[in-house]
Amino acid sequence: MNNSAIGAAVARKGVFDSRLMGAAGALVLLLAPLAAPNPFFHHLLIMVLFSTLLGVAWNLLGGYAGQVSFGHAAFLGVGAYATMLLHLKLGWSPWLGLAAGGALATLIAVPIGLLCFRLRGPYFSLATLAVAEIVRLVALNWESLTAGPQGLLITQLPELTLFGHAVDWESKLPFYYIAALLALLAMGANHFIAQSRLGAYLLAVREDMDSAEAAGIDTVRTRVVALALSAALVGLAGGFYGLYFRYVDPDAVFSVALSVEMVFIAVVGGIATTGGPIVGAIFLVTISEVFRERFQSGHLIFYGLFMMLIVRYLPEGIWGKLRALLRLAVGR
Amino acid sequence: MALLEVNQLRKDFGGLRAVSDLSFRLEAGQILGLIGPNGAGKTTAFNLMAGFIPATSGEVRLDGENVVGLRPHAIVRRGIARTFQIVKPFRKLTVLENVTLAAFLREPVRARAAAAARSILALLDLAGKADCDASDLTLGQQKRLEIARCLATRPKLLFLDEPMGGLNPTEVEAACELVQKLSDSGITVILVEHHMRAIMKISDRVVVLHHGVKIADDAPADVVRNPAVVKAYLGEGAA
Amino acid sequence: MDTLLQSLVSGTLTGTLYAMIAVGLTVVFGVMRIINMAHGEMVMLGMFGAYWAHEAGIDPFVSLLLWMPAMFAFGMAVQRFLLARVIPSGELNTLLYTAGLSLLIANLALFFWNGDYRTISLDYGMTPARPFGISVSIPLAIAFGLAIALTSALYLFLARTDTGRAVRATAQNPDSAALMGVNVARIDMITFGLGTALAGAAGVLLAPSLYLYPTVGEILIVKCFVIAVLGGLGSIPGAIAGGVLRGVVESLGAVYVSVAYKDAIGFVLFLGVLLLRPAGLFGVGRTS
Repeated sequence: MNNSAIGAAVARKGVFDSRLMGAAGALVLLLAPLAAPNPFFHHLLIMVLFSTLLGVAWNLLGGYAGQVSFGHAAFLGVGAYATMLLHLKLGWSPWLGLAAGGALATLIAVPIGLLCFRLRGPYFSLATLAVAEIVRLVALNWESLTAGPQGLLITQLPELTLFGHAVDWESKLPFYYIAALLALLAMGANHFIAQSRLGAYLLAVREDMDSAEAAGIDTVRTRVVALALSAALVGLAGGFYGLYFRYVDPDAVFSVALSVEMVFIAVVGGIATTGGPIVGAIFLVTISEVFRERFQSGHLIFYGLFMMLIVRYLPEGIWGKLRALLRLAVGR
Repeated sequence: MALLEVNQLRKDFGGLRAVSDLSFRLEAGQILGLIGPNGAGKTTAFNLMAGFIPATSGEVRLDGENVVGLRPHAIVRRGIARTFQIVKPFRKLTVLENVTLAAFLREPVRARAAAAARSILALLDLAGKADCDASDLTLGQQKRLEIARCLATRPKLLFLDEPMGGLNPTEVEAACELVQKLSDSGITVILVEHHMRAIMKISDRVVVLHHGVKIADDAPADVVRNPAVVKAYLGEGAA
Repeated sequence: MDTLLQSLVSGTLTGTLYAMIAVGLTVVFGVMRIINMAHGEMVMLGMFGAYWAHEAGIDPFVSLLLWMPAMFAFGMAVQRFLLARVIPSGELNTLLYTAGLSLLIANLALFFWNGDYRTISLDYGMTPARPFGISVSIPLAIAFGLAIALTSALYLFLARTDTGRAVRATAQNPDSAALMGVNVARIDMITFGLGTALAGAAGVLLAPSLYLYPTVGEILIVKCFVIAVLGGLGSIPGAIAGGVLRGVVESLGAVYVSVAYKDAIGFVLFLGVLLLRPAGLFGVGRTS
């Protein structure tokens, strides 16, 4: 029996009912911080959710549509700076700014897409690298707006009262729930898209551009839409980053390393899967925490190594493999 | 008004004129064979008419509307579908998914698109393979899958690029019947084919290209007697 | 006028070294259809090679004799034991794999050699030569000359030798080349070895003129990708022209626009070319 037939059999048994899994996931997310009331643990959870959000976003474009971007940090940086600047310079509520960051990232994604999608495959990947460099250099040098290498700092977040309680921004919990909400939103969107016509079009674009056109698919528009959605999520993540750390500088949010982390999360977890980025994110955060303490940037050695091992021995990613094994076990 | 009207269509690759001022008309419901020796420009002509390569000059009118300059997907939307000489299925997707993708063009709801795809698969004798990966099909089945994908876009006009190439005699026979069946269902067909017996049997009309120039445009029986055509195929002195 | 001439000259010198890195990239792409994201790390290794040689009392330029063969062998080994198994699974997988390799090499280097900025100071690098009133750094001029010599040597190798012809045949059509009795696996190894040796040699040549640190490859590689795409990936003359063009544009931009944006100007040039001539200046790149 081939994979799809197994998938169909499993779908009938309802083992992978997505609503069930979604509800279970939401419950786990709601309760997870109670497992250990310790700020460091909460910080790790936040980083996992933040990374999941990035992985899901990258995966939409890189996994489903097969357009490997090495420049997604550009959208993260734009989102982060937009949120920070709208608050610092215009006094916008940071939460409105967060949404504006996502919107702005989407907005710049469209012309970038129209330009870079003139190129196919690896050429596209190179172009994204160049675009991200341009954006980084602009952020670094436009000092009147961005304060250049000095970065931007928010000393205090404005007060917010929710259900009669003032939110304690010094605690990690509010950020945890915001991150959880964003990650759920991203995964929900991912799940919905994967089921929809757009999801099918993304796969077609990945598999064969000529055949996709022959099937009546506007391959440029499809890719631009995928990039815009992906950028929107990354822009939101960027805004969150700014508010959580209350500090951004070009090296932190526009770095190539950050772009590569997004690739890593999606590839290690599982290309073109909804659940993969969670697994990739847990993996990434674990490696980086274990090694960051021991020796500086040692975690990057392992990012590189794992990426090579996964591509070579497990191209469907950890989650992709687990899912296939589970389906096999259930199907029999 | 003719369904398809090609006027002075031209393609230059650098100094080479691959298609030279090609003009012909095609009425709805006909089967047109497009033949010529290797390198005659048949596939280039297909690619021009379907928008896969930009024409140097000339026009291609479908129902009177010029489609030159449109991107391929937009031409598909207007009713011209094409297969590829070297089959290009979406290999990692199932047969059903391959066809559903194309059915989405006219039917955005997944369940209905899938239903349309299933009925087309049944028509092409691929229903039993619906859940197989496209890469697992035989060449003959992959060629039918490409046709299925075209049909799912509900074309008025279908371009078939060597649908019989590489098939065994039984499969060729079946392919002929299929083309006939498509034509009977109201789809106009142009096919490029090297299989002469097949093309002479099923075509209503045959256009012959040689070095990018149209040298004959006639009923099949007249084309085979045309000295220019014989010379093109067999060389100088044969005529 | 002097400033203009000065920028043209220094732009050409640096641009030629960029070109040499881009040629390595483009030859590998032309033959094997892969984009080596770790190419910049090969340059970095060459730079550190020159640095260690200098520390040991060997002139960095003399150390080419050691590092070029070493990098050639290293490239062959990477191809034979790592890449050869991944390439058949598709170009995107290969891209991701070499990106992983790039991270691995750069950060191993960072771990073992730490992130300090190092420089090589040469006795003859202290005062620039001043032909016709133009200031020319002597190490950069030597590097320029050697870069031209080495790139020409590669060109002649591809044009004149049997192995070179086999490499070109493989670039045009690996399947036909294999049918004609070319051992494609061997050609891939040689090609990747050559690309790596060229990158390493460029690193050695650049070392006396730049700061060196383990992640320097990241910056160089982005520039050289841009150059290779500018010239049309796979085209050696394209890569050379692209490299020199980029060097000149950067140095003119630094003088006439702004130092801070000199790198950005190169990228903007790149995007401009993508927009107007998506196949590269020399028109061999594949586009949509």
